[in-house]
Amino acid sequence: MTVSKEAILGVIAEESGLDPAALRPDATFEQLDIGSLDVASTLFIIEDKFGVEVDPDKLDPHSTIADFVDLVMRLAPS
Amino acid sequence: MSRKVVLTGFGCVSGLGIGLAQTWRKLAAGEGAIRPWRREAPEGHPAWRIDGPAARVDAEACRMALEQAVGDKDDLRPLGQLDPLSLHALTAGLEAVEAAGLRGHPSLARRTAILIGCGSGGNATMDQAYERLYARDLAKVHPQTIPASMISAPASHLAMVLGVHGPTFVIASACASSAHALGEAMHMIRSGRADVAIAGGSEACLTLGSWTAWSAVGVMADDTCRPFSKDRKGMVLGEGAAVVVLESEDHAQARGANILGELAGYGTSSDAADMTAPDREGIETAIRAAHEDAGIASEVPALISTHGTGTRLNDPVEAAAIRAIYGRSLEASTVIATKSAHGHLIGATAAMEFVIGMEALARGAAPPVLNHLGAAPDCDLPLALAEASPGAVPIDHRVLVSNSFAFGGLNAVLIGRLPS
Repeated sequence: MTVSKEAILGVIAEESGLDPAALRPDATFEQLDIGSLDVASTLFIIEDKFGVEVDPDKLDPHSTIADFVDLVMRLAPS
Repeated sequence: MSRKVVLTGFGCVSGLGIGLAQTWRKLAAGEGAIRPWRREAPEGHPAWRIDGPAARVDAEACRMALEQAVGDKDDLRPLGQLDPLSLHALTAGLEAVEAAGLRGHPSLARRTAILIGCGSGGNATMDQAYERLYARDLAKVHPQTIPASMISAPASHLAMVLGVHGPTFVIASACASSAHALGEAMHMIRSGRADVAIAGGSEACLTLGSWTAWSAVGVMADDTCRPFSKDRKGMVLGEGAAVVVLESEDHAQARGANILGELAGYGTSSDAADMTAPDREGIETAIRAAHEDAGIASEVPALISTHGTGTRLNDPVEAAAIRAIYGRSLEASTVIATKSAHGHLIGATAAMEFVIGMEALARGAAPPVLNHLGAAPDCDLPLALAEASPGAVPIDHRVLVSNSFAFGGLNAVLIGRLPS
């Protein structure tokens, strides 16, 4: 499956239980109350669906949604 | 300190329906939930097939009922992934607490306990994880696998949704788990450790892995569940949850609660004999202990809700124990076996049968034993059979005796009573 910004946001929304509209690019995981287990779940699905493996140490509670999307997009095969 | 423990709310989920009202409608009409369950084997995995009877929960209806009960879906967010084990417990638990009029009540903070009986953990979640590992050779499983599947998850999830901070845990004693949960919750209230207890059981074992393991035991029927009947072939698996709100009588009266009955007695014993075969002495010990605890003589006519699995071994041993204890007074009592309707809910079954039994007392109607083909020579009991009409059998009892005898020889008997 091809990676896209929309697809990544869809996975974050699904795994965190948040409305996709709430995922503002500048919002941090902490602000959105997305905990470490939700992040791990999101990374698991991203890897499963798109074959993109992300090092969880590159993310922290202050990472924004935009940081996350950029990181996945950078690692995705072009 | 010993306080009277009353019942103020019931909730249940099973193949019969979502909620006590739906459940009772089916039972009163003499309808059961056991249906053929077929799953064709996918290509390359000929062993992955299921073909046999089961009583399954309508998962979609259950989730909708839960979301409606919670009100705001966001309140479920912190719970993470929900295995059906928790889905069932939450749906039944919220129904019971709502019925008791305790949603948002200040008592639900530190003076409330939650005790849930479970036979096994979240089988569906574990099946999914193991399928990735063993069948697809994938090294990673979903990070929520452990929190979603751990056997204590239903208790944690209920505490989170209800804001309960008192003693909260799961009790596991196979098919007697939720009888032990109700009984131990009763003792917590009697002793003053809690004013309110949300107690019951949950199970969600209808998965390929669990089904295959149960089939291997050799106790499953290939047609249906026929307790105490001739030509019975065994048990039928079900799934679901049942939850009861227990309170000290003082607490219930002080808040003007509608008192539905009393959990008057609890007797428990261990056979210490065999992992699967029942033991008459152990069963009798538990039943006698429950009567003694309740201060209700065995001569008092009662609705006796049997463990009644429909297996070759359980039924005659239970029938003999009941005969030995109640003797001639049994003829004035009524004996039911509702696994013929909802299947065997394993860790949830005792709570389900207790809720059904109390509802039957209140309505003066016993759900008939279904699928009965005639008396078995080794199971002589005055069963409530729907011979004249398909519906419930009229009764006039004030006392319920609810039996649960688990694999591993763990027995628990509850005695309920209508309010005086």
